[in-house]
Amino acid sequence: MITCSEKSWTSRYVVAALMLLWCFFLSPLTLHAAGQGEYIAIRKQGAGKISIVLDRSTAKGGKDSEWAQQIDKTVKDGLVFSNLFSILPPPSNVRSAGDGKGGASVNFGALNSVGAEVYAGGSVAKKGGKVNLDMEVYDTFGTKLLLKKSYSGKENQIRSLAHAFCADLIELLTGKKSYFGSKIVFVSGKSGLKEIYQCDFDGEGLQQVTNLRSISLSPVLSPDGSYLAYTSYSSGRPTLYIRSMSDSKVSSVSKSGVSVDPSWRNGAEVATTLSFEGDQEIYLVRPDGGIARRLTNSRGIDVSPTFSPDGRQMAFVSARNGLPQIFILDVQSGLTKRLTFSGRYNTQPSWSPSGDKIAYTTWEKSGEINIFVINADGSGLKRLTGGARENESPSWSPDGSMIVFTSNRQGGKKLYVMSSNGENQRRLLQMDGDQMQPSWSLFR
Amino acid sequence: MRTVKPLLRGMFIPGMLFLGACCCEKDVVVAPEPPPASVELGDIFFDYDKSELRAEATQQLQKNFDWMKQNPAGTLVIEGHCDERGTNEYNMALGERRANAAKDYMVNVGAEAARMQTVSYGEERPFALGHDEASWAQNRRAHFVGQGGAAPAAAPAK
Repeated sequence: MITCSEKSWTSRYVVAALMLLWCFFLSPLTLHAAGQGEYIAIRKQGAGKISIVLDRSTAKGGKDSEWAQQIDKTVKDGLVFSNLFSILPPPSNVRSAGDGKGGASVNFGALNSVGAEVYAGGSVAKKGGKVNLDMEVYDTFGTKLLLKKSYSGKENQIRSLAHAFCADLIELLTGKKSYFGSKIVFVSGKSGLKEIYQCDFDGEGLQQVTNLRSISLSPVLSPDGSYLAYTSYSSGRPTLYIRSMSDSKVSSVSKSGVSVDPSWRNGAEVATTLSFEGDQEIYLVRPDGGIARRLTNSRGIDVSPTFSPDGRQMAFVSARNGLPQIFILDVQSGLTKRLTFSGRYNTQPSWSPSGDKIAYTTWEKSGEINIFVINADGSGLKRLTGGARENESPSWSPDGSMIVFTSNRQGGKKLYVMSSNGENQRRLLQMDGDQMQPSWSLFR
Repeated sequence: MRTVKPLLRGMFIPGMLFLGACCCEKDVVVAPEPPPASVELGDIFFDYDKSELRAEATQQLQKNFDWMKQNPAGTLVIEGHCDERGTNEYNMALGERRANAAKDYMVNVGAEAARMQTVSYGEERPFALGHDEASWAQNRRAHFVGQGGAAPAAAPAK
């Protein structure tokens, strides 16, 4: 059983956040900026996976070598998870001569012969009581140094060190910020008893967030991670709660009726379905639990809001025409248009962080539930899952490259991830019981 | 003394019987009040993705209203439930509509709204655990829980 008290969880969270900040701001940054734009220009979009040789980090034995092994494994796992690389084993003579320092020692001929486009290697040593990782990245064809950077941190921050390098490497090669500091919140449990958990982007670092011994549902972190919104039956009926992650203070909406499926708008407000006025409509709620205003006004179920990154448009589920379909509301003008016309039962929209796409689920005639993606203008419908039972609750990674979702393809409901084009679907997390309603953080 | 002992011995068994009968008296002699033709609360069931009441549901709701009349101090919690199909968030809303449909009908036939509370469980608390239409049909329901009934002697209906 994974249990941990609320206090220790938040303090860990704070430590993790500080650590991340520290990694990004305090370590000496010597990015060879000239290389970045050029490399991306040479590699065109959709050029397939990047062939990389990930060399073993050098270390002077003892503890240093242990750290080096941990870092190498974490970096490799991180790059494998991204699905952007084909990772080649280093040729035996990759570091031809010299003492292993400086560009002269890398054998680019050997790297070219195995088809590597990029070489990354470094060294690990203890410096000033801390773990220090020096990394170098080369473009093997141009034999050009693309990145040279040092990362340092305490021994218990090795995972973050390695991930900071992964994030830099991916940003360097793709021009996009990655997701290596992001979290996924989700629900786990059996019927009648569900708690909220969180894990890192790759399923590691599992932690229990709530211990309410009730039914807690639909967790979603605010864009900066400072608040968690969720619905819980802890008071006897489904109520929206907004919890401050720094001091665990909780505010709630004190209105009668249900509260269903919250979503953040611009980090300042939460949209959720409430029924205190009779019909189920979507309202904006402030973090203190006060109602800001009502957004929808139609008979029938209106549920599951999700916002464009600028907060101007809201996709949501409405049964105003009978069975549930996805609609888009222009928040300013109040104009609503229907987005989905294919499929009789479309729910669970999730707006991509880049703003151009919406993922959602269709309950198909075959009985399968599948995840689809559609452009926000209604064009470009594409099915991402199929032939694997029920696939639900899509949520985008903060960089938009991946989607986390629920599937019962192997029996119970479990969390899976896939690339945003549907490729490389695999299990995220090994955990007892059913897992559902994953939501990927926007921070990273 | 010799004559007293057998006498006492002879009286022992009838004596015990007498004492026993005295103790039992309250239970045995006082007959239970004839139970008032008590009305049982019953659940109602819905069609797939529907919160409209079926014809037989209105008959059961009338009986549930009779229970309220018989138990003037009683209150009702009406739970709305859905089958496992469809998605959780939508079913949470659908379950509320089912509970509200039941409550609205009862109010229309004369029940006091203040004595009824609704709560939606969506698909979170299924009654039948199977994954077939028979189970699903069982789970698309409004479930009635009576509280504080039985002002007279009758046991609260469950």
